[in-house]
Amino acid sequence: MDPLVTVRGLTKIYRVDGQQTPALRDVDLDITPGEFTAIAGPSGSGKSTLLHLIGGLDHPTAGEVWLQGQRIDRLDHNALAQLRLQNFGFVFQAYNLIPVFTALENAAFVLELRGLPRQQREARARRALADLGIGALAARRPNQLSGGEQQRVAVARALAAEPKLILADEPTANLDGVTGLALIDEMRRLNREQGTTFVIATHDPRLLERVRRTVYLEDGRIAGA
Amino acid sequence: MLVLAWRNIWRQRSRSLGAIMAVGFVVWLGLVYFGLVGAARDGSYVNLTENAGQLQVHTRDYRDARNIRDAVVRDAAALRPRIAATLPDVEVAAALDVPVLLAGADRSRGVLLMGVDQPQALRERFAAAYLAEGRLPAGDDLDGIALGGGLARTLQVQVGDTVYAYAPGTEGTGASAYTVVGVLKFPDPARDASTALLSLPAAQDLAAPGAVSRFELHIGQVRRAPDDAVLMQLRDRLQSALGGAVIVETWREAFPSLSRIEQVMRPVGLVFIGLFFVLAGLLVVNTIYLSVIERTREFGVVIALGARRGRVMRMVVAESLALCGTGAVLGLLLGVLSLARLSQGFTYPGLEKLTAQVGFPSVLYARIEPAEIVTVLGFALATGVLAALMPARSAGRLEPIDAMRFVA
Repeated sequence: MDPLVTVRGLTKIYRVDGQQTPALRDVDLDITPGEFTAIAGPSGSGKSTLLHLIGGLDHPTAGEVWLQGQRIDRLDHNALAQLRLQNFGFVFQAYNLIPVFTALENAAFVLELRGLPRQQREARARRALADLGIGALAARRPNQLSGGEQQRVAVARALAAEPKLILADEPTANLDGVTGLALIDEMRRLNREQGTTFVIATHDPRLLERVRRTVYLEDGRIAGA
Repeated sequence: MLVLAWRNIWRQRSRSLGAIMAVGFVVWLGLVYFGLVGAARDGSYVNLTENAGQLQVHTRDYRDARNIRDAVVRDAAALRPRIAATLPDVEVAAALDVPVLLAGADRSRGVLLMGVDQPQALRERFAAAYLAEGRLPAGDDLDGIALGGGLARTLQVQVGDTVYAYAPGTEGTGASAYTVVGVLKFPDPARDASTALLSLPAAQDLAAPGAVSRFELHIGQVRRAPDDAVLMQLRDRLQSALGGAVIVETWREAFPSLSRIEQVMRPVGLVFIGLFFVLAGLLVVNTIYLSVIERTREFGVVIALGARRGRVMRMVVAESLALCGTGAVLGLLLGVLSLARLSQGFTYPGLEKLTAQVGFPSVLYARIEPAEIVTVLGFALATGVLAALMPARSAGRLEPIDAMRFVA
């Protein structure tokens, strides 16, 4: 099967106060459609940086990122925004919901950015919320939801847009054990039943036990897979 | 996007309310200002035209005349019916101005004596407004004269006394004695000290038999200035009926200084309103800019999810427009309420004498043109867009990762 994402020689060096700090060094990676993959490693190993570069949120210092045969690491700001909008779903550690929107509006936001009519986007957002078991919370705002519920809304936001790839950065880091496990199971179920591709940056052992593939990073290099 | 903008502006309630109130106040101020300018415009118009008419008929080149002979319309008796036939719904008055030396028993003063022939209704309105003592000279009265109070005091005469008018070099008797039959009181001291009124026949006997300086045409509408286009149409119709020996002028043409003042008041007002909007705009800039800084992480997420620069900028502009739009609606409501009250008539408390002296009636009526309302609202809209430009540019340039890591 052709890879969905291809990464070759990916290097990212941050320059802080004149000092160069390498975050990723010469990383090669292929992700095929339908994968449920974890990128693991200790803090500072480059997990989030790799996720950001795959998702077109940042530019690499060197190397290439390809999405289904299209090189994306050299695209400009607006082209990358369009690429993210059409292809990627993001789940962040801090949920990052829009506080003035309800759960339904948050879940529908990416579809609104895509310009879908209100009825269509709300129907899809409702379905995504229902899939994650929080359909009854659609009218609540983020400050009326628990951490686990907020993270589910964030997953629903990614899911409603039916992206090719969902990139999740430490999605269980702020959740208690039970809530974290429940969220992991939901994501696995969605991967299994809907074929959604997940790449998850994590060092949560509960999550690592449940993925099909784990890529280990250490000091910005792939240490094992 | 508007829903998001509307909800966002209420996240910092007090700050947004401050900006809304500022824009609302300036919109209200702008509307009331234009309403008062309209009142002043109409007031000047009423003051000027209630006696002098909205259209005037003069002999051609009367402005360049060096003596009374060249400044008058000859054979006025023949011209008057032609005017009445052309514009049958218009009231026509006639006046003859005669520069004279007017003397009492001990004192004399050079004045412009005015012989008038007014329709009855006009004459009654004039008497009700200005007659302080006695009566006006009757239409065929060859001996009676009414003087402004200031002039009567200068000449040291009162009702019943005799005054003497000398008008050398004219075509009439050139000199005559008149009995003071009335004393007038004008708010304008200059007018009070220089007015001397005769009947038209008396003035013609004195200086120019059968002639008038002008016909004054009153077309009604005393509270507000009529549409210039309507007046110009009437002027052209009358001009073509009367021929080239005379010239027909609108009140604007006859009194160009008033038009010039009006032409100045509008741009001056626009400059002031513009300055106030700049001040309100600074408050809006501050509100929007702080809001953008506080929500940098949120903008980072929006960009990460796929919003383009233009979309992010439009989100910021929409918030600014929501602020200014809310302020504008508030200001518009208050402005309309204020103008509705002021359009029923108002005075400047304690300043009635002063306003009368500068040529305004004691009661003014606010009036605003739709174009002026549109102008003020346009200013509010422009403020909303301009105030958002810098914050919108900052938000649009955010890089998603940097923005999501931002700590305010």
